[in-house]
Amino acid sequence: MAISVDSPETTEEPRLSRRGRRWLIAVAVVAALVVASVFAFVTFQPIQVLPRVRLAPGFSLIDSESRTLTSEDLRGRFVLYTFSYSSCENCGSIDETMLEIQEGLATADLRGLPVRLVTISIDPDDTPETLAAYADSTGADSSVWTFAAVEDDRFLADVVAGGFNTYYAAEDDGSISLDRSFVLVDNAGIIRNEYKYQTQTSDAERILRHLGVLAEEVENSKGAASLAYEAAHLFLCYAP
Amino acid sequence: MTESPFSEELAPSRSRPPWQYALVAVPLLVAGLVFWWGYNRAQPHQFSGAVIQGLTAAPDFSLSSDSGPVSLSDHRGKLVVLYFGYTFCPDVCPTTLQDVADAIEILDDDDAKDVQLIFVTVDPVRDTAERLGEYVRHFDESFLGVTGTEEEIGSVATLYGIYYRAGEGSEATGYLMEHTATLLVIDREGNLKEVIPFGVDSEGIAADFEYMLR
Repeated sequence: MAISVDSPETTEEPRLSRRGRRWLIAVAVVAALVVASVFAFVTFQPIQVLPRVRLAPGFSLIDSESRTLTSEDLRGRFVLYTFSYSSCENCGSIDETMLEIQEGLATADLRGLPVRLVTISIDPDDTPETLAAYADSTGADSSVWTFAAVEDDRFLADVVAGGFNTYYAAEDDGSISLDRSFVLVDNAGIIRNEYKYQTQTSDAERILRHLGVLAEEVENSKGAASLAYEAAHLFLCYAP
Repeated sequence: MTESPFSEELAPSRSRPPWQYALVAVPLLVAGLVFWWGYNRAQPHQFSGAVIQGLTAAPDFSLSSDSGPVSLSDHRGKLVVLYFGYTFCPDVCPTTLQDVADAIEILDDDDAKDVQLIFVTVDPVRDTAERLGEYVRHFDESFLGVTGTEEEIGSVATLYGIYYRAGEGSEATGYLMEHTATLLVIDREGNLKEVIPFGVDSEGIAADFEYMLR
């Protein structure tokens, strides 16, 4: 009798715990899948992005055709800035890189990304005329690449050194020392990358590749996919 | 017969008191709540503006208000909202200031106390500290309005990505200023975190403030 009363109890116990164990396994599998997919996302980086580094400065420039070009005019475009001046003797490599990018833009598949190149003069003595001659000497296509000077000299240092974080200084002999620097700014006026140090890959190649990354983000980060792009930003899946 | 589903269901109810179910139900409920909480936390917040990921300290400044000098660093620990405009501004500035005031209304009291709007004039010629103070407090008592020399304003505006220029106007309005109309949000640690474009409604602004104040 005792056996018959106890038996439902003893058979009930393992059945419940078996069910419990199944639940536990299911939860563990789901958790493992979540962890594995996050790990795979971070490791294989199916989506790469460029970080939103900091705010680009606000400015008003006068270009080589004496037109005003402001940071508001450039909102909505992806702009690569560099810094130089018309009488610079050591700026050849900066101009060559810009030219290489200008040529690359003609053949790169950027899905209609609106791109502009802007060389900002750091020499307060540059005028639209000297900049026009400078632009001619580099082979710049004026529909893509603009040469301009800061309209109000009082804010030149705020724009170039403060905003774009690019070092320049007037030397005693009248020359200007200047760091090679390229700054990529997105359509919302946010700096997405800075190129200051030469790497194995040339600056032009990296910049063109990064423009491709931005073009993909603009094209694909819509609707639900925007969450995947936010995840890529969150997990620092940055393009090299 | 003992394999019938009825007997299976009845068997435990006969032999187990109801409190034993609580032993299963309560942990399940707790697990469910934890999952729900975690799920909500893990959902990336959809910001209304562009979020800046770099940890660059927002440039400090010291400008004048009608209640004395105002520095960005005075407000470390609060969410500082910077807006560049002018008191003669016919549409964009009052709309934006009202949206921020409404967003602060939406927040609970603790969060609301931790939001500080600073209105920087781009028209220092006409906007005196007194005029600015009176103007901004019309929207919210906590708002600060600041001014400085043309050089000081120009420097601060440049570093915060703000372009402005005196433009056309009429006899009635005087000259109008063209200016970048973004709201700049600086987090408690003093990093510029978000750039909110013109046109985001107060709910959107409040949701972003709330998220950054967590």
